[in-house]
Amino acid sequence: MAVVLSDEHRMLQATVREFAARELLPIAADLDHTARFPAQAVARAAALGLMAMTVPEEYGGAGLDPLAYVIAQEELARASAGFQTIVTVNNSLVCEPILRWGTEEQKRRYLPALASGRWLGCYCLTEPAAGSDAMSLRTTARLVGDEWVLSGTKLFVTNGVEADVCIVYARSEDIPGARGISAFIVEKTSPGLRVGKVEKKLGIRCSSTAELVFEECRVPAASLLGARGEGGKIALATLDGGRIGIAAQALGIARACLEESAVHAQQRQQFGAPLAAFQAVQWALADMATRIEAARQLTYRAAVLRGAGRPHTREAAMAKLAASETAMFAAHKAVQLFGGYGYIQDYPVERYFRDAKITEIYEGTSEIQRLVIARHLLGRR
Amino acid sequence: MDIVVCLKQVVDPELPVRDFAIDPATKRQVREGRPLVISTYDENALEVALQLKDRGGAQVTALTVGPAAALGDAVRLALAMGADQAVVVDHPQAPDLLGVEKARLLAAAIRRIGAYDLILCGCESADWVERVVPPLLAEMLGASCVTFAARVQPADGGLLVRRVADDGFHEVDVRMPAVVSIASDEANRPRLPKVKDIVAAKRKPVQSWPAGDLALPSGGADGSGVEVREVVVPQRTATCEFLDGDPVEQAASLARRLRDLKLV
Amino acid sequence: MAGICVVASALDGALSRSSLELVAAARALEGSGEGGIAAALLGSGPHLAEAADTLQRHGVAAIYRCDHPLLTSGQTDAALIATEQIVRRVQPGIVLVSADTVGRELGPRLAARMGAALVTEAVDVAVEGGALLVRRQVYGGRAMATLAVAKRPAVLTVKPRALDVPEPRPSTGTVEEVPVAIDGAALGTRVREVRREQAEVGLEDAQIVVGGGRGLGGPEGFKVLQQLAEVLGGAVGSSRPPADAGWVPISWQIGQTGKTIRPALYIAVGISGATQHVAGVSGARTIVAINRDPDAPIFSVAHLGIVGDYREVVPALIAKVKELQGR
Repeated sequence: MAVVLSDEHRMLQATVREFAARELLPIAADLDHTARFPAQAVARAAALGLMAMTVPEEYGGAGLDPLAYVIAQEELARASAGFQTIVTVNNSLVCEPILRWGTEEQKRRYLPALASGRWLGCYCLTEPAAGSDAMSLRTTARLVGDEWVLSGTKLFVTNGVEADVCIVYARSEDIPGARGISAFIVEKTSPGLRVGKVEKKLGIRCSSTAELVFEECRVPAASLLGARGEGGKIALATLDGGRIGIAAQALGIARACLEESAVHAQQRQQFGAPLAAFQAVQWALADMATRIEAARQLTYRAAVLRGAGRPHTREAAMAKLAASETAMFAAHKAVQLFGGYGYIQDYPVERYFRDAKITEIYEGTSEIQRLVIARHLLGRR
Repeated sequence: MDIVVCLKQVVDPELPVRDFAIDPATKRQVREGRPLVISTYDENALEVALQLKDRGGAQVTALTVGPAAALGDAVRLALAMGADQAVVVDHPQAPDLLGVEKARLLAAAIRRIGAYDLILCGCESADWVERVVPPLLAEMLGASCVTFAARVQPADGGLLVRRVADDGFHEVDVRMPAVVSIASDEANRPRLPKVKDIVAAKRKPVQSWPAGDLALPSGGADGSGVEVREVVVPQRTATCEFLDGDPVEQAASLARRLRDLKLV
Repeated sequence: MAGICVVASALDGALSRSSLELVAAARALEGSGEGGIAAALLGSGPHLAEAADTLQRHGVAAIYRCDHPLLTSGQTDAALIATEQIVRRVQPGIVLVSADTVGRELGPRLAARMGAALVTEAVDVAVEGGALLVRRQVYGGRAMATLAVAKRPAVLTVKPRALDVPEPRPSTGTVEEVPVAIDGAALGTRVREVRREQAEVGLEDAQIVVGGGRGLGGPEGFKVLQQLAEVLGGAVGSSRPPADAGWVPISWQIGQTGKTIRPALYIAVGISGATQHVAGVSGARTIVAINRDPDAPIFSVAHLGIVGDYREVVPALIAKVKELQGR
């Protein structure tokens, strides 16, 4: 099943590419150096309809399919991976679970605000002692009267500083593992919720990564997302979509590496010829391009399956694994091809190198993706 | 207000040099396999139309002459950006036509559209830069004409147009109907379509009229007496000599070179 | 139907320089059987006499002078009525119009009214083997087209500054006053206000031009360029992005859409070198490019290149030039 883009998808791609050229490329290096949150660019992305792309129009979204989403994410990440991180979290880790498991009231309250850019979302799963082994999380939720009381600490929360709405996973049942977990929609202003340590990162630096601390944080009973004990399932299903978004991010970074390298190779002269005249350089570029196209097809395929409502856990894991390792490969090649210029901040490839690494780590490390794929192969849990 | 915006689809003017070629048979740029875009200033013209629509209400029709079989995205993009409807004059050889012939087709189509107060065009096309269509349209339609407008606003039943002039600006009172060609300005930077409108554009009306069915206006400039004899790509002879060193050394060697050239 | 008629404009006061450039074009054509050179001279007030003198001193034999209070800056509709009346009377084979603010409206409209052939934005005209050949830039200056014009009458518009002002060539001839009736109330357009934003030294006349682009990062960058232009005795211009962004007046813009310049020296600072801009500077004798990006296309048209930060290079250059000048 090769995916060929329709006219709409191509036009969407051109539109988001132009948006990125206007709003992101000029500030991408500065965003990285200063690690500041690009509030204006986020607002403009929202105005264009990029903050809730797959949410139906009746909830303020753009009503597009997951393939459109993937195409847009690649373009954003091509210009600024950090910016795309902010957007992809809002889309796939916050809007998507609310859309799929939220009550009508929850959808009406949160989705239009998340789509319009009035509110920003974050996703609170990881804890100090629960990283790859997410289902061992220890944050608790107790039902006291008509309120849930949340206690615990969430780590590495993307958008944690600026977010207004948090999807929080907590142990509500006295059962170990996934079945004891419930999901909650927690508004940032809830009493007992505060932002803890804000991390300083290697890459994707304009997106905030923070610790969120829940100290007897009280939220209305209606904050429960889905059913009690359904949180583990929601978390994993949400990550399937999230991983497709990260795969698209990795594609964007990899493409940036390839495009910058191709231009540089044709213009930089050494030993009396452009770098592009040397076969070693040609092979590096060819390898980058081939791996990118392969990873892109995996990513598109996962998106199309998701859009068709078919199982795609395995495909999403494969897409993320292939794309993130391609990004790292391409960044490695690009820095080497740029030589000294690849190591200094006047050129963008050192940023791509730093940004690429996260794609192998978050929303499931490459090791976890391999585990997911292997489980499907071997039928073992 | 009824506004017609004339859009031309051209090969992306920012095409890399290596992809630029002249077809010796047609004496025009090779289009095949090259990305097509709406000609630069035509998008600014559409933006001006959409701003007039946003402010005071207007019906905006996007009009293009082109081969319907290879139309590209111009019409869809215009509709996604906010045009209400589109008309395509289907002409297989459209990309080879010079402005005089193009203007005749556009004038015929605008007459058939019927209602128009304002016709907006880009100030020049990115390919042949003839700048003739707007004034020729004005003559054929009996409309007022201003070219190279940076700003357009309704005023006293007509328009107040800021025209870019050789040495500044002219503020021009314009009676309608009018043909106004648009130059770029910070106030008319083309908007991007909202992503949902890209899909919604498919539902907006698009009419396709074969060029042969149009009643062409008589008179006007005569295109038959002009033949394109050749189009050549000049060979660049300059080779750049780079001045090395730290900034002070670079500046010093440049200053010395300028002195040697008797420019200092 | 014979002869060449130049549309000479004194709408802004004195005779425009581009009117004399048209005379240069006419003189290039006159020996080819097209006939003599006439001029339609449009303007208002006493300076018209001097304008007519200037035309005669440059070889225009017959001058048809139209003096009307509406023939002022930017009044295309009035100028068109006057020109049409003169052209119908003179019946020239070729009408030459400057592709300036008024001429780029007037030329095509006149051609429409006369049923004439039309070629615009010529950079060169010639007669070769009996054919009238017009050369013009196409595709953003990437190519040069040659068009053969067989039909008469033909209206040609000529790009300002593409041709040099011709050497004087005194001629004796006639100056005829052509009365023209223009009903101001019937015109479709009226210029309400003329706002001049002239560059300090006329950009198009400067022998040295310093151009700034997007790479300057903002309007402040142009201050240091102005200092450089000052010590060099030149003018400052810009590529399209600074003009679009409002950093500099749009009258500073050089390129296909802006002004065409042909200075002895052009220094491009922070300009990437889009074809649109290069089209306006390719006539410069020496092009120097200063850009941080060694891959910028401007270096492919420049003779001398400096890869570096203009904030460091330009002040150093100013100091060095002053030193060489003994200041």
